[in-house]
Amino acid sequence: MIHQKRRPFLALASVALSLSALSWSNVSMAQATDTIKFGMSMPLSGTQALFGADQVKAAQMGVADINAKGGVNGKPLEMILVDTQADPQLGINAAKRFVSVDKLPIFLTSWSAVVKAVAPIANREKVLELSVGANSPEIATLGDYVYTTFPLADVDVAALAQYSHTSLGKQNAAVMYINNDSGVEGANIYKSMFEKAGGKVVAFEAYDAKATDFTGALLKVKAANPEIIHIQGLITDLPQVIAQMRQLGITTRVSSYSAGYNPKVIEQLGAAAEGLIVTSLAPSVNDNPNVAGFINRWKTTENRIPNGLPYTQYLYDSPYIVAELYKWIAKNKLPATGENLRKALLAIKTFDLPMTGMLEVSADHRVKKPVYLLTVDKGAFVPLATIK
Amino acid sequence: MTLSILLQILWTGLAVSSYAVLFAMAFSLILKVVKIWNFAQAGFMGLVFYSLYVSLNIFEWPMWAGVVLSFLVTTLAAIAFFHYGIETLRARHSSSLTFFILTLVVSQFMGYLFAMCFGTEPLTITKNIMSPVMLVGGIVVSHWDLQAMGLTALTVLLVYWILNRTHMGQFMSAVADHPGLARLYGIDVSRVYLYTIALACLLLTVGVYLLGLKVAMLPNTPLQMMLLAVIATLLGGMGQVFGAAAAAVLLSLIQSLSVFVIPSEWQSLLIYAFLFMTILFFPEGFSWTAMKSWFTVRRA
Amino acid sequence: MEYVISVLVLMGIYVILSSSFNLIIGYGGLISIAHPIFFALGAYTTGVLSVNFSIWPPLALLAGGLVALVFSLMLSLPSLRISGDYLLITSIGFQLGLLEVIKHLGFLGGASGLGNIANVIEGDNRSEIFALISIGLAVIVFLFIRWLIQGPYGLLVSAMRDDELVYTSLGRNAMKVKLVIFAIGSACAGLAGGLYAYYYQYVNPDQFEILQSSMILTMVVVGGMGSQWGPVVGAVLLLFLPQAIGFLSFPPSVMAPLQGLLYSLLVIIFLFVRPQGLMARVVRKDA
Repeated sequence: MIHQKRRPFLALASVALSLSALSWSNVSMAQATDTIKFGMSMPLSGTQALFGADQVKAAQMGVADINAKGGVNGKPLEMILVDTQADPQLGINAAKRFVSVDKLPIFLTSWSAVVKAVAPIANREKVLELSVGANSPEIATLGDYVYTTFPLADVDVAALAQYSHTSLGKQNAAVMYINNDSGVEGANIYKSMFEKAGGKVVAFEAYDAKATDFTGALLKVKAANPEIIHIQGLITDLPQVIAQMRQLGITTRVSSYSAGYNPKVIEQLGAAAEGLIVTSLAPSVNDNPNVAGFINRWKTTENRIPNGLPYTQYLYDSPYIVAELYKWIAKNKLPATGENLRKALLAIKTFDLPMTGMLEVSADHRVKKPVYLLTVDKGAFVPLATIK
Repeated sequence: MTLSILLQILWTGLAVSSYAVLFAMAFSLILKVVKIWNFAQAGFMGLVFYSLYVSLNIFEWPMWAGVVLSFLVTTLAAIAFFHYGIETLRARHSSSLTFFILTLVVSQFMGYLFAMCFGTEPLTITKNIMSPVMLVGGIVVSHWDLQAMGLTALTVLLVYWILNRTHMGQFMSAVADHPGLARLYGIDVSRVYLYTIALACLLLTVGVYLLGLKVAMLPNTPLQMMLLAVIATLLGGMGQVFGAAAAAVLLSLIQSLSVFVIPSEWQSLLIYAFLFMTILFFPEGFSWTAMKSWFTVRRA
Repeated sequence: MEYVISVLVLMGIYVILSSSFNLIIGYGGLISIAHPIFFALGAYTTGVLSVNFSIWPPLALLAGGLVALVFSLMLSLPSLRISGDYLLITSIGFQLGLLEVIKHLGFLGGASGLGNIANVIEGDNRSEIFALISIGLAVIVFLFIRWLIQGPYGLLVSAMRDDELVYTSLGRNAMKVKLVIFAIGSACAGLAGGLYAYYYQYVNPDQFEILQSSMILTMVVVGGMGSQWGPVVGAVLLLFLPQAIGFLSFPPSVMAPLQGLLYSLLVIIFLFVRPQGLMARVVRKDA
């Protein structure tokens, strides 16, 4: 009887053990060749995968291009990729894997919650964590080994707020935001910058992430009579908010941040999207000659333009940053540790990147970049202004 | 807050309560007759949505064909689930926890299946989510509002007619009260279950159709909508399908109107507060007869 | 190695969670799935204490357990006096509702989570020490629950669970037993939460949603509800499996749904094929 009971247990246990044995062999094989490695943990599955997967593809394009030109001092660059599903717990697993299994001194990641969750590991293990695309202002204070190569929310939302008051002449603004971390932080930044510029925020309404009806909040906003409405939401709710807004007869101009820079918005809203202002932190085809080639490459290989184009531009450039760091330590004859790579980052400071142009990493863990404003005109996004 | 704002919120709140009503009624109906807290409903809601999405956007069928297909697919799947899943556990006299685990896990399983097949992009049934509007006495009325209220009213009337005016409805009540006794009277209990499930799936189909026109769905959206359905069922009274409907309308309206009393981000919390109040003060559900019996002597 | 050790830490935590959950639903027969919220309460309590005060870590852990215990009474007292089935719904509402509240509270980090929890164990052997503490705590909890169940109190609990009506008619207070079981189980979850907070130094509200409930429930069901070793086996196995799957090279878009799919499929199969779980000795008639 005891044997009967134990049998399924033994069967399951042996399956689990053999699976893990397989996995160990996979890992050890990967470390056989001599390459310059860095880690990349992104959402490849889950609700953010549509952005994460494209960002990874862009980074892979960057790696391929670097290697085509000879790699880093003759050695090929290799990206070790792990899925995070934008989940902090999985992000932590990924970081632990990079540190203890793959023994990497540097890794790149994104999505604010993940960046925050893995910061303690980066700081403890002295491994350089580069955040590419996450925009929570908190990232600048996460520790010595956490740096962003993407402007945080206080850059583009702030620029937008200021532009709306100073250049567009809007005296009153209303802010609607999704009640999660990116919504709350961005909304607060907009409010403080708009008021600092001299304007007045007449309505400040949050909506629940699960809400399907925004009538109440919208009517409150309408009653406050704003001249511009800024929505700090996600691509899942932004079109719905604007749709219901327009249906309620609110014709006020709407602005959003980079989440709104998405062709889906125009597709779902049609004429209701006209006039929408969005931000982008990456140069467009008009600003940078490389971008056209990048977009064409996507069209030929994937038959579409990437989701979240500006982010993919930053991700394409990120292997170039890694390559520069490794070149610096090779030049200064230092071992490849997180500590030295961090030194390299602060020593090089300014990078000239193919898709996003000049990047200056400052000691306060921030980067400053021009903000590109676009608006929807006749069913397409067109440039509106560039704020340096 | 002016009168026009109040009326507008009441109107749109009422329109939006339409799908909440349908989901609550489906949940309540299954609970009443089949005696299951059917958390798998979320999975079937997803099935309706994705079948509709596929028929419209991949097969490119007209809307009515898509709706019919979704209804059939979901009903078949639901019947299979009940027959192979629920009935098996019932034959073994499994505990409520087992049923709960099964229904919840089936919902999750279906959610993951949808995620694997359709990815996790937010999807809408139709490409454009705008609905034409007109002004009626200062209130904005959209075509979607009218469609939602109209379809829901029709469906509710249909359910009322079935439950109260047909033989099958009587059988459903009999089975709801005492399945064993119903069987003794010659009622085919399995057949009653089948009809009940089909009726519930009809409610789900209409509800998801309306929801899908307005909102972008993710694989786990249905599970989030279940909370209101569950609370409405509790508040309406166990076994009171129309009580659940009324409760759903009430809860929806309160949620919409509350934005003037509490900050909008606390709106979702209101639902949980209601859940607690219900459990504490109205565990048997809010029923007028219960209220009346507090004041009058009950007849034997 | 470090990686395996971090899995060990997680294993210890989940053994505590599944054993204490089993105490509540397997032995106590209480239909609650809100276990993760007590896990969360312990984690947040410990986290907040460590961020704002320099408190002795074991004390913070105990505080976490205590807060979880107090909150468990807030759930069990009103719900249990009505009927067991209602506990199910109330527990869902309690869990999700409290999580919403947490997401709105700034001092708990809000929706973006509570970070900067102090590192209480410095040095190269941090993970090893944590693993020892985690496994050690798991052993203590396991033995405590075992002692509870095999002792005279355990007989009371079994009697109450098997036939509450008779139990009450014999003059015993079933309500009191339920409250105690629920409180003990939840306090253990709180302890595990504190350990979690110290190890990861970051707590995020999204980790305590229904998915977590489902995971712990799966461990108990697959392992064997109402058996002592069941939850342990369930925890170990179900932690091992995704780690292993994670290393296989499936296309990423298939990976995450695949893990979830396998989890849910596993539970469904077990519910039908072996409802008593892997380790249970007796096929209980109400399993």
